[in-house]
Amino acid sequence: MSTARDSERLSSAQQTIDILHEMSQLLNTKLDKETLVTCVQMIESGANPEALAEVVKELRRESQALQAEERENGRPGSSAGGR
Amino acid sequence: MPASSPQALNTLVQQLVPRTRTDDRLKSDLAEVCRDILNSHIGHAREPDVAVLSELIKRQIAQTSHDPNASIRFSNLLARLMEQSVLSRKQSVLHFLQSIGPAPRPTSVTPSAFLPSLRVPPAPRSRASRVPSPEPQPVPEERERARTQAEILRDYRARIGRSHLPEHLLLRDTLFLLQGISGKYVRFAETRPYAEDRDEARLVFVDDPNQRFIIPSPTRTLILRISELGHLYIRVSSFVREREGKPGVGMIEQSLCHYLQTQLTEYYRLVAVLESQMAHSTADNQRDDGLTLRRLEVWIDEWRLKMRMMATCVEGCEDSHGGALVSLIHGHTSNGDPFVRTFTNELLEEVSKPFFEILQKWLFAGELHDPYGEFFVAIDPEMAHLHQAGSDHNALSADGGFGGGGGMDDDVQREEGEGGLRLWQSKYIFSKDMLPSFVGEAFGKKIFSTGRTLNFIRYTCQDSDWVATRNKMSNADRNLQYSDIAALERSIDDAFRIANQRLFDVFIDKFKLMDHVRALKMYLLLGQGDFVEQLMEALAPNLARPANTLYRHNLTATLEAAVRASNAAQAPSDVLRRLDVRMLAYTHGELGWDVFTLEYKVDAPLDTIVDPEATTAYLRVFNHLWRLKRIERALSEGWTRVIGGARTFLRVPEHERDWHQTRIVLAEMIHFVRQLQAYCQLEVIECSYKALVDFVQKKEGDLDALIEAHRTYLDRVTKKILLISPKAGKEEYLLGQLREIFEIILQFRDATDAFYGHTLTEAARRDGERDAERGIHVQTDTLPAPRDDLKRAVKRIKEYASAFSEHAQAIVHGCQTHPDLDCRFLAIRLNFSDFYRSKKDKS
Repeated sequence: MSTARDSERLSSAQQTIDILHEMSQLLNTKLDKETLVTCVQMIESGANPEALAEVVKELRRESQALQAEERENGRPGSSAGGR
Repeated sequence: MPASSPQALNTLVQQLVPRTRTDDRLKSDLAEVCRDILNSHIGHAREPDVAVLSELIKRQIAQTSHDPNASIRFSNLLARLMEQSVLSRKQSVLHFLQSIGPAPRPTSVTPSAFLPSLRVPPAPRSRASRVPSPEPQPVPEERERARTQAEILRDYRARIGRSHLPEHLLLRDTLFLLQGISGKYVRFAETRPYAEDRDEARLVFVDDPNQRFIIPSPTRTLILRISELGHLYIRVSSFVREREGKPGVGMIEQSLCHYLQTQLTEYYRLVAVLESQMAHSTADNQRDDGLTLRRLEVWIDEWRLKMRMMATCVEGCEDSHGGALVSLIHGHTSNGDPFVRTFTNELLEEVSKPFFEILQKWLFAGELHDPYGEFFVAIDPEMAHLHQAGSDHNALSADGGFGGGGGMDDDVQREEGEGGLRLWQSKYIFSKDMLPSFVGEAFGKKIFSTGRTLNFIRYTCQDSDWVATRNKMSNADRNLQYSDIAALERSIDDAFRIANQRLFDVFIDKFKLMDHVRALKMYLLLGQGDFVEQLMEALAPNLARPANTLYRHNLTATLEAAVRASNAAQAPSDVLRRLDVRMLAYTHGELGWDVFTLEYKVDAPLDTIVDPEATTAYLRVFNHLWRLKRIERALSEGWTRVIGGARTFLRVPEHERDWHQTRIVLAEMIHFVRQLQAYCQLEVIECSYKALVDFVQKKEGDLDALIEAHRTYLDRVTKKILLISPKAGKEEYLLGQLREIFEIILQFRDATDAFYGHTLTEAARRDGERDAERGIHVQTDTLPAPRDDLKRAVKRIKEYASAFSEHAQAIVHGCQTHPDLDCRFLAIRLNFSDFYRSKKDKS
């Protein structure tokens, strides 16, 4: 009984995530599925959506900066404490 | 944000910045930054709902995507998402997606240059969201050109010296106009303020003396429209001012003025605000949020309606007043415009206050406190003093009565007595015009009756304590007002019921109404048989004498004797006290029978019901019944004489046949009279009386209904006993026949008496002859042979017998075709064996 409900829950969660992913693609958010799941989880647990969006943007910026730095330096990992 | 776990945050950081998977320090740094952002106040301000969000998202999609189906796809997705139950904060998720969405816009597919401006103006988002299908913005060049044209026009006008008057000057004038003051450029014409022709333009535009400026005609029209308000204001405020100083203004008008004054104060406030706005706009003419004529018009729009209503009321005040005014205002509450309706209701609530105050006093205390004659109940000025007299009388008797005051007391009593019914019927007048239309006429009548009843209980029945107590009780929990008509109707119903209940109680228990009505039936309608018999017995010898030999004190003594000799002695003394005999005004040659009458005296407040008119009717019926009784007595006497005498000593063999005929006719007459009596007593009086008693026991309706019931009772009795026909011109035909038949019976009695006498003489003579034959000495010459007299007597008897027969036939025939069922029944009674018909058929 409980397993049946669990599986039902799981499939519906899967569906939801699929829908949300499609939406995010439509909106061109460039989030992959895993990240999306994490974000949705955070929102469900009470994170402020707008602030979270800022966080994601910030992290992306950071990642780009790091990649650029990496490309400049030619080697990874040396300037980890740059910030 | 305490709820978001650091675990999730770390995962997020690792997913987005791949390097942190190896670099722990970087990870913790970034996580720290992220947590700061999350804990910051970003996005706390608003929480848009799903509809707005989806709209925003769709717009974004439309901007960024080339796929025309994208927004439809999104809608589908959204619908599906809404069906899912896993997420509890769908809205927030959507918000997140929307917030993160715009970020990549710069890098997204290059939007075409014209697209945004055609679709949505991006800058004023709020405005765009209000207008779902935005019109194409005018291109800046166009606007530039338009302005230039306007300037060209203005320059041209300035060149030819006919430029427009600057608006701010006109604006100031218009504000003056709103307050009913003439401005510099626009002023009210000096015509009569209340000219009949109101359509005539009374606004004058003063041209600039130097002819520098003109006022263009659209502006003129606008000002004219606005100035309507000023014109109305003048009317209203002058009305208020006029009424302020005037004495004798009704309370309803006063409260109307009060309300108008409050409204005008509100209006002044508006004007003040407008003025400050104007100061603003003149100080900085370039700003477009200041006051313009057009804005002014919008601002005052609501007030225009209000002012119109007020002016209408003021106009109504000119020719109506009091309750009629309330009615007039109430007429506007069914207006289709909800604004007018609300305003009128408010106004009415205020204006009807004094009305309800009067109503309350009237309904609960029976007092009319209406100094300006505004209520729909008015007092008859001629009757007002009676009310005074009544209260004086009250005061006197409350004091225990001064010994010497008896005479005066009596006077008051008589005055009141005369006016009992008149007082009730015409002391207060119901005026339909003054009845506010929201009360309704049926309720108006109820209110009228209730107050009248209370007033009556208070002054005529002298039961003011009860009224006062009731008043206090009902005042405590009742507050009548316009807004609660249902409660008002309930209160009216209650008050009506209670007051009338009390009135019935007072009449029946305190004044013993039914006892008196019964006494009237017993004595005046001859219901008390033994008493009537006694009275008849004692009076008959007296009444046969000429009227001028009768004295009232003798009759009174006889009456008392009759009362004592019969069961009537058991009646309450209050009833017997009122019973009296009276002699009607007599002319020469009338007998006591014609002028004698019993009388029953009623005083206030019973004379409201047994009014003089009713007394007359009672006397009339008494007269008839008394006559019938007399006939019956005469017949009974004749019968005993004829039967007894004829058998024993009236031995004249050749007249046996005549005597037999006489007895037959006498029997016929007795039958006739007995049936008539039975009909009167059983069919008419008792039946009518029962209907009256039934009504009184129900205790329904008001005093009017009671009076009406008694009147119906008496009317029925009178009509049926006197056999009054409703046919015009023949009302008393049958009554006349009856009277004639009574006359005939009496004459017949006389004739029989004569016949009896002559027969007796003849018998005596024959006895004498027989004695003489036997040798006994008698004086025969003293007894002449009365043959002719005897013959004449027989002839008379025969004449009267046939006359009676004819009349009886006529009466039976008349009763048979009488419209009244009971009268027809009388015909059946009289003609039970078809005696009269067969005779008629034979002829």
